[in-house]
Amino acid sequence: MPAARRRSLQALGIFCGFAAGAWLGGAEAPIKLVTTDISPVTVSLIMVCGVFLARWSVPAFIRGTSQVRNDVRQAPHLVVWAVLAGCMWAVANTLTIYAIRDVGLTIAFPLWNSNSLLGIFWGVVLFNELHHAGWKRWLGVLGGAVFMFAGATLLAIASSHQAAPGRATMGVLAALGAGILWGTMYIPYRKAYLTGMNPLSFVTFFTVGELATMSLLAIGYRGATPLWHELVSARPVLFWLMLGGFVWVLGDLFQQFATKYVGISRGIPLSNTNQLWGLLWGILVFHELQGAGRAVYVQVAGGSLLMGAGAVAIALSSATEREHSSWQDAADRESHRYEVEGEYVRAGMEGRAYGAGTSRRSVLDWLLIFCATALFVVLAAVAKFPHIDIGVGWAIALSAAMITLLAACGIALWRTTRFR
Amino acid sequence: MSPANTDSPRSLFRAIATDLHFWIPLIVLAGGLLLLDKLR
Repeated sequence: MPAARRRSLQALGIFCGFAAGAWLGGAEAPIKLVTTDISPVTVSLIMVCGVFLARWSVPAFIRGTSQVRNDVRQAPHLVVWAVLAGCMWAVANTLTIYAIRDVGLTIAFPLWNSNSLLGIFWGVVLFNELHHAGWKRWLGVLGGAVFMFAGATLLAIASSHQAAPGRATMGVLAALGAGILWGTMYIPYRKAYLTGMNPLSFVTFFTVGELATMSLLAIGYRGATPLWHELVSARPVLFWLMLGGFVWVLGDLFQQFATKYVGISRGIPLSNTNQLWGLLWGILVFHELQGAGRAVYVQVAGGSLLMGAGAVAIALSSATEREHSSWQDAADRESHRYEVEGEYVRAGMEGRAYGAGTSRRSVLDWLLIFCATALFVVLAAVAKFPHIDIGVGWAIALSAAMITLLAACGIALWRTTRFR
Repeated sequence: MSPANTDSPRSLFRAIATDLHFWIPLIVLAGGLLLLDKLR
């Protein structure tokens, strides 16, 4: 790959990582509007329904589902990996709900964000990431991730008074379990993108695993009839939960592109800046930490600065030509093992077109987009805004910042790779 | 690691089942389900 192309894809991947942080963090906001008493499993199921709609309608809107068929024809084995990753996501997401219930978001968040350290481990061990990278880049990535973890821990300590005593151990275990599941879920991600699959294709199968696992868990835990009654009684909040899932998917798509172009060892820590965005929403919009002492705010500021410094260190540690050639070795291994055409793998890694396939949207694509939009409109019409005090001005400002990032990163992805 | 002829479903299954990268996530998933069961 030409050096200029490699550099532009690296820059794009880093930009995607930061955009992912904003949207993944912002996904917590609609969920905070749900104040009614619904079981964690049902909350997770409703969110996953929103996620499912987004994971089919957004790719249909961007590229059309015909591209998904082309990808599956080239690398059918990746369907299995995508479904497996989706199952892991669903279990991890349910664990986070138990973690939030037992120890609060501010403690749970940094614990499950430790997934980036595990992601780096798998990236190095299984996919040749950071091989021949030199000590400066090792220091940048690993040091940056440790800085981010330390910052996250400081943020947790700052808000530890919110923890519910008695259930703390199980809550911590749930958060750590979610971190391990998510950290390991990046194995299928990296495998898919080394093999050339488009992230927009991967997520459509990923979400089948998500929805199937979550439906089975919900029916198994709640029972079909009580679950149905709970879903019906949750009508006023369905929109907020599904919107949370939808926003999450947009962040996750950026995370997938970041993973594709800078690998899991850099892409995942960068997208974990979502904690900073979650914190901004919590403090500015939902007035969390209100009445806390000066020491708490000093800890929050210190933790945020540490996280920011870690993210910058990682962003500046882009892969060298030698490291990139190690990635290509890992890609060749995948191509050889699963007999995927070499040109398809190379085109995927370089973010360019493979074959002469068109990306025209079909009637099915427009139907998907229409149905998803119509469902959200109907749910929004019956949704009720809870009686809680929120900072509307800050909510508008943060939303505007997220939309600006979405547009800028979307345009960069289109110009550089046409969303490949 | 020898290449698998993944043209047939059986070969595809064999290639996946003999890939260590498949078993690591699967084991972690099983662990997650167990933990979830304890938390209920």
